[in-house]
Amino acid sequence: MKRRDFLTAASASLLPVMLDGFGLKAMSRQSVLVQSLLNTTALASDRVLVIVYLNGGNDGLNTVIPLDQYSLYTGLRSNIAIPQSSVLGLDGNPATGLHPAMTGMRNLYNNGKLSIVHSVSYPNPDQSHYRATDIWMTAVDSSQTSVSGWAGRYLENQFPGYPAGYPNVQMEDPLAIQIGYLTSTALLGGQQSMGIALNDPDSFYQLVGSGGTTPPGDLPCCDAGDLIAYIRKQQALSVGYAGEIKRAADAGRNMATYPAVTAKNYLADQLKIVARLIHGGLKTKIYFVSLNGFDTHSGQVDQTDVRLGSHADLLGKLSTAIETFQQDLTLQGIEDKVVGMTFSEFGRRANSNNSKGTDHGVAAPMFVFGSNVKHRTIGQNPDLANLTGQAGSKEITMQIDFRRVYTDILNDWFGAQHTTTNALLFREFPTVSLFSDTVETVASGNWQDRNVWTVGRVPFANEYVKVNAGHTLTIDRSVSVKNIRLEGKLMYTGPYSIQMTG
Amino acid sequence: MANLDPYTTILTAKTAAHLLRRATFGPTQAEITGFTGLTAAQAVQQLISNADYSPPPPIDLDQYSSTAGQTFLDKPFNHARNFDLGHYMRCWWLGLMTSQAAPPSLLDKLTLFWQNHFVATREGVGDYRFMHQYLLLLRNNALGNFRTLVTQMTKDPAMLRYLNGNENEVGKPNENYARELQELFIVGTIDFAGNKNYTEDDVKAAARALTGWQYTNYEVDGSTSFTTLFVDAKHDTTNKVFSAHYTNTVITGRAPSPSGTPSAGELELADLITMLLAHPHSPRFICRKLYRWYVNPNVTQAIEDNVIIPLAQFLTSPANNWAIQPVIVKLLTSQVFFDVTNIGAIVKSPVELAVGSMRFFNQAVPVLPTDYAAFKTYFDFVFYRMQDMQMPILDQSSVQGYEAYYQTGYSKTWINTTTIGFRYDYTDAYVYRFLQVRPNYLMGIDVLAWATSLQANFSDVSGTLAISCVELLDGFTKNLFVYDLFPAQRDFLIDTIMMEGLPRTSWTFQWNAYRRNPTDPGSRYEVLYRLQNLMKFLLRMAEYHLC
Repeated sequence: MKRRDFLTAASASLLPVMLDGFGLKAMSRQSVLVQSLLNTTALASDRVLVIVYLNGGNDGLNTVIPLDQYSLYTGLRSNIAIPQSSVLGLDGNPATGLHPAMTGMRNLYNNGKLSIVHSVSYPNPDQSHYRATDIWMTAVDSSQTSVSGWAGRYLENQFPGYPAGYPNVQMEDPLAIQIGYLTSTALLGGQQSMGIALNDPDSFYQLVGSGGTTPPGDLPCCDAGDLIAYIRKQQALSVGYAGEIKRAADAGRNMATYPAVTAKNYLADQLKIVARLIHGGLKTKIYFVSLNGFDTHSGQVDQTDVRLGSHADLLGKLSTAIETFQQDLTLQGIEDKVVGMTFSEFGRRANSNNSKGTDHGVAAPMFVFGSNVKHRTIGQNPDLANLTGQAGSKEITMQIDFRRVYTDILNDWFGAQHTTTNALLFREFPTVSLFSDTVETVASGNWQDRNVWTVGRVPFANEYVKVNAGHTLTIDRSVSVKNIRLEGKLMYTGPYSIQMTG
Repeated sequence: MANLDPYTTILTAKTAAHLLRRATFGPTQAEITGFTGLTAAQAVQQLISNADYSPPPPIDLDQYSSTAGQTFLDKPFNHARNFDLGHYMRCWWLGLMTSQAAPPSLLDKLTLFWQNHFVATREGVGDYRFMHQYLLLLRNNALGNFRTLVTQMTKDPAMLRYLNGNENEVGKPNENYARELQELFIVGTIDFAGNKNYTEDDVKAAARALTGWQYTNYEVDGSTSFTTLFVDAKHDTTNKVFSAHYTNTVITGRAPSPSGTPSAGELELADLITMLLAHPHSPRFICRKLYRWYVNPNVTQAIEDNVIIPLAQFLTSPANNWAIQPVIVKLLTSQVFFDVTNIGAIVKSPVELAVGSMRFFNQAVPVLPTDYAAFKTYFDFVFYRMQDMQMPILDQSSVQGYEAYYQTGYSKTWINTTTIGFRYDYTDAYVYRFLQVRPNYLMGIDVLAWATSLQANFSDVSGTLAISCVELLDGFTKNLFVYDLFPAQRDFLIDTIMMEGLPRTSWTFQWNAYRRNPTDPGSRYEVLYRLQNLMKFLLRMAEYHLC
């Protein structure tokens, strides 16, 4: 039994006895004992994931711009290409830049709080919004379907039986919250959503009230009976959680300055609520927020200034929202508890269309943000000289399967057992070392081959490297690393060496 | 099992109400009474023949406007008022849905089905005239021929605008419309077994066949007309080759045609629609969606085999040739439609809750054009509440339509911890009555008047017994729910909610006190409070949210 499991069990089984029959909830917040126990368990298990969905399919190539292939880039999309001089440079990474609207995320990158994961997709990609969104949210192969979402399956594994018996002493807060009115597929468990929808914590309590009398549970037959049971449960949950959400919303405080309402940055508005609830002590594990409008078939840049336009507005909102959220967490002193990730159902085609827009494509970058990310770059710029597809539809191919990112979040962020994670994602995916200092090998091969490394690129001189048992790496030139741990073998083809910089 | 065979049992109040709840936005008591005793075939025929295809036009509802109370679609385009006039056009449609003056018709519920099928939105399109023409196209063809509807829709200015069809040009195709035409409008991405119905190259080929369509005068201030154009120079004249999913069809690229003959665009569009309709899964895709809309979102393999496939065969049979009306008639008069397992099998959508409650509780729609200010108050309330409940009419968040019609869980999607709160808030408004539609018209249910109407010889307190709690509950719940309440539920409603633990005889005492002196505030409040509690709870019950 892990320490935190023991503590959870202990607080559940011992407290009612020690407190002479009063439930933990009745004593909560007033009792030093309860407070200290909760804090102890919290320390190990209060990690939060924030999922940011960019609805519509984000144009990755105008988001993360391959400066090392700038002329190929402009050749593919002359009517929407961002001028080289306007692209935001990144510290220590001259090959890559960000869209000029993304100063906030550039700052996070330079401060080591943002990972760019290049060219994320999956084999046999789908270009229907609906199907592709489903694939990302349910984490299946494109040839498979699943009724449950990846995050929902994780929560179901952690909190079996939900929603029967919830809220309860071990988990008095919602397992997941989607800011808005609907809950996404990603949060679906086997039977129903593991999360709740919350538009505004201030009005939520007022809206659902503090509950009333419970009517008899009689049900008619068939689908009508199932629907009535479902609606009654949603009624009960909304009331059950309303008090805790109100308490957290009242206790939490935003410390950074978010964009004004007039800026219409709905993502920032949503993340502001998330930061407030986390700071207020809500123990919800997963928050889901979204920004709409990325389906930029037409007019994604301004008619006269390509640095402006609808896509620039969206990226500006994304960047400002995430930077402000991260600042808020830092000021609140809870930065270490939270990690966030962005995703979109697909990237857009490398070549633009005639309407100053881009049609549905394949791979695109993901962003992972927070103070716990260990590598600023995973994978490398897409190779624009070797795109797939004929003229007229040049596609960016996958480097990183999105389920590798999910794998690291489940294993290394939430601390799930590897066997559990593999079951939740239907098979094993290699790490991308999101939360590990060490770059590891995933196969034998040439040191210079990006595919042998977890991070999808050759290790930098400032990174720890581990050659795993069973792997043999060929070294055909001298390389530098911070330090190396050798469990496999190295094979030198000449008088080369590994320089240790650490 | 139940199938498409005709349902021949004479309609009872329950089955008449079921038909009206599904085929319209919800019945009035009078409509239920009127349909009781008919056959399903007679009832559906009435719902069709009652359709009004020439309603009076939308009206400017802004009392501060110089054209308040006047029509606006016959006037030059006014860009400054684009949002408002678009919204009034939407309110006008809601008015058609809500009217209790016209006999019940299935037209607007079916129009909403098609609008959610061929989604274009006021927010995405902009120009209110475009939206109005698009809505009329849907409404006038809702019961017509699917081939005509989808062909016209492809050239419709609002749709060209919404899915970038006007930007789809030779050499630089914009695939947006071509993709949705296959994915959402005709074929479906995958079949019932999960196999893909077409390829990415089919999307590209279809886009090339659709190149060259344009519209005119989009949001041009002062313009008095607009139209669709086909521009030969923007059309891709090469052959379009499709995959084996479409039996390797080649649509011959047409060169510019002489004037007076069908354009290259028309000819290739006709070929394309013919090819898409010939896909074996297209009619099933359409029929499955209709079944989910009208009967039950839950489609099992048995339903697929016994209902969807036969209905699809009927839709495409040579005699029917994609006519919609006979398919609707067949479905709404079938045994499966009236099967007991399908009663209450759908969660009411916000429009069924919002408009349905207005109709059920006889909230009269202010008459246009004279009562335009009251009309605006009424439908602003309906629209913005529906928006809170996640169903802004004519403003779906994506081309896929409202989530509850495609997402796992289907109609359950309408309900979650937040929307349930907005639903309570909406139904509570009927009980607490704060919305003043106009002087002397307070929106909501006058529970005291209702109870009074149930009481025989109201003023004859000594000679006529007071109505009992049971009679009162029976009155308030008549046709309110899809099925009868259980005895324990009825007892709970009376003893716990209405009487709050007091004996039922206390009701007799309090009600008679009110009968004796209806103007005494104390007596009035005592019974009003109980009746309001009861009505509020009834409308908050999960049962009221089923359709």
